[in-house]
Amino acid sequence: MPVSVGCASLDRMSTAIQAIDLVRDFGQVKAVRGVSLQVEEGEIYGFLGPNGAGKSTIVRILTTLLHPTSGSGSVLGHDVVAERTTVRRLIGVALQEAGLDPKQTGRELLTLQGRLYGLRGQVLPAQVAEVTELVGLADAVDRRIQTYSGGMKRRIDLASALLHRPRVLFLDEPTTGLDPLSRALVWDRIRELRGRYATTVFLTTQYLEEADELADRVAIIDHGRIVRQGTPAALKAEVGADVIDVAVDERETGAARVAIEEIQASGELPPGELRGTESGYTLFVPDGPQNLAVLIRGLDRAGVRFGAVSVSRPTLDDVFLAATGGRMAAAAERAAEEEEDRTPEPAGRGAQ
Amino acid sequence: MSAATTSAEPRTLAAPAGLLSDVTAITARSIRGILREPELFIFALVIPVFFFIVQVGALGDVAQRAFGISSYAAFQLPISVLFAAASTSGGNALVLDITNGYWDKLSVTPVRRSALVVGTLFGEMFAVLGYSVVLIVFGWIIGVRFAGNEIVGALGLLGLTLLFGIGFAAVSIAVALATGSIRATQSTFIIFFPLLFLTPSAIQRDLMSPWFEKAVSLNPITYVVEASRSFLFGLNGPAIAKGVIAATLFCALTFTLTALAFRRRVRMG
Repeated sequence: MPVSVGCASLDRMSTAIQAIDLVRDFGQVKAVRGVSLQVEEGEIYGFLGPNGAGKSTIVRILTTLLHPTSGSGSVLGHDVVAERTTVRRLIGVALQEAGLDPKQTGRELLTLQGRLYGLRGQVLPAQVAEVTELVGLADAVDRRIQTYSGGMKRRIDLASALLHRPRVLFLDEPTTGLDPLSRALVWDRIRELRGRYATTVFLTTQYLEEADELADRVAIIDHGRIVRQGTPAALKAEVGADVIDVAVDERETGAARVAIEEIQASGELPPGELRGTESGYTLFVPDGPQNLAVLIRGLDRAGVRFGAVSVSRPTLDDVFLAATGGRMAAAAERAAEEEEDRTPEPAGRGAQ
Repeated sequence: MSAATTSAEPRTLAAPAGLLSDVTAITARSIRGILREPELFIFALVIPVFFFIVQVGALGDVAQRAFGISSYAAFQLPISVLFAAASTSGGNALVLDITNGYWDKLSVTPVRRSALVVGTLFGEMFAVLGYSVVLIVFGWIIGVRFAGNEIVGALGLLGLTLLFGIGFAAVSIAVALATGSIRATQSTFIIFFPLLFLTPSAIQRDLMSPWFEKAVSLNPITYVVEASRSFLFGLNGPAIAKGVIAATLFCALTFTLTALAFRRRVRMG
């Protein structure tokens, strides 16, 4: 799929990232269950899913930090296990928890990072200046990192990932925990990078808006499996309808379902998927605004007490709902509960 | 490697850095970290100095009269120096990197993994050198003198202490790598007590109870202590040789443990 990326036209793209049937188990826990994906050069690929869905595990495999239990991954044609040193030169990585040395200044951290990437002579200070400017930290680069705010730490981490001009950039939840201003700044920088260097970006996120805003293509992951993949527009079009959400009191859920199904059966409402949610029901129907009125009248007629009713164009959360039968927030809660039930893993980061 | 890959690769600025460059960069970072926590440096010196003062104050005269030790301060100085050398925090620095994610950050660069450990060890050597020099100068100020040439004696003690110090640092680094646990890494300090006090730390071996002397003789650090003292009480070739061999064996053992723990940590999945 050709993508126009500012100055860099990528009509003839090659594969930047490929995963074939990746599986990763942690003892009895199956974190990744057969993930295959392909990201083209110059793409921003959004990996969307709730906490615990397997996003970070896949990033750790593709960035050579973790061995897959089975399956294979490659970056720009280099196997992430057999050719990991080559892969490490080609990629830049900002992991979910910005691992930084708080005792160093931003400049020292970046300079060390640059040396490890083999940057020498005038190139190194020039790159440090360029990336700190890019992330808006030029004024703070000589301060110790322990004095940085959370947003600044994320940005210096991003800067260190960009220092050697990686061809593929992995960003694992780069804006989680950031305030809206910092989030917008990170988004701008990601777009700018792609525009300036045609960098391929593999971005994991739990924010629907982020995937929608930034990604050329999105994969939705749940329970270690990709459940949908495509452009945000195409995925939303797959839902094929507007989304009507009806909040229903817990005691009324059964009656509400019966009433909605009866309205559909009577032909007043066109056929459409009905999904139970945490707060009530979601109905996927064409021509939402008009059918909203029909639904309200029908529920009223049936004597069902209901709360807030809204109609919207489908979002990626609706795609998630349609694919998995649950909202992302609920899936995240479920994952957190499952995590609590698990036997604790050994301390530290495990295999590298 | 695919053809598409080759055509576009020069766009990245990354290039092979070399092991020496990697080790130098990591060592410099370790030393910077040590210098930025002077309170740890001071803390590492306070306890050995306290023990030194207490021991010399309490037993100095008795040792001279009963055990024939001409200068109990000189007798105790190597213990204080070795004590301080065992206060290095290499494992602590490393385990912090592991728990806060910085180890991962460094691990996704093309750095040779061994450089991360070797650089940390070199940083610890710098700390050991710093502690030792301060304590030797302290000893000199209160009148402790080396046998023969002062410089040679001081360098001899420094050399042995460095060997012991990095051997000891390697233990905490091994625990840090193997467990990734701050608590476990900090606990390695416990092994310091049998290692350093199951030695002729207070009196010579020939004055000890037979059973205790037997136990002390099995501890390699005993020979490091005796070799260190020989720089102060009269250069004794065989004692120094035994001390160097014992310290080298100690290092060989702890480095092997570190290498095994390192392999465990970098082994992929």
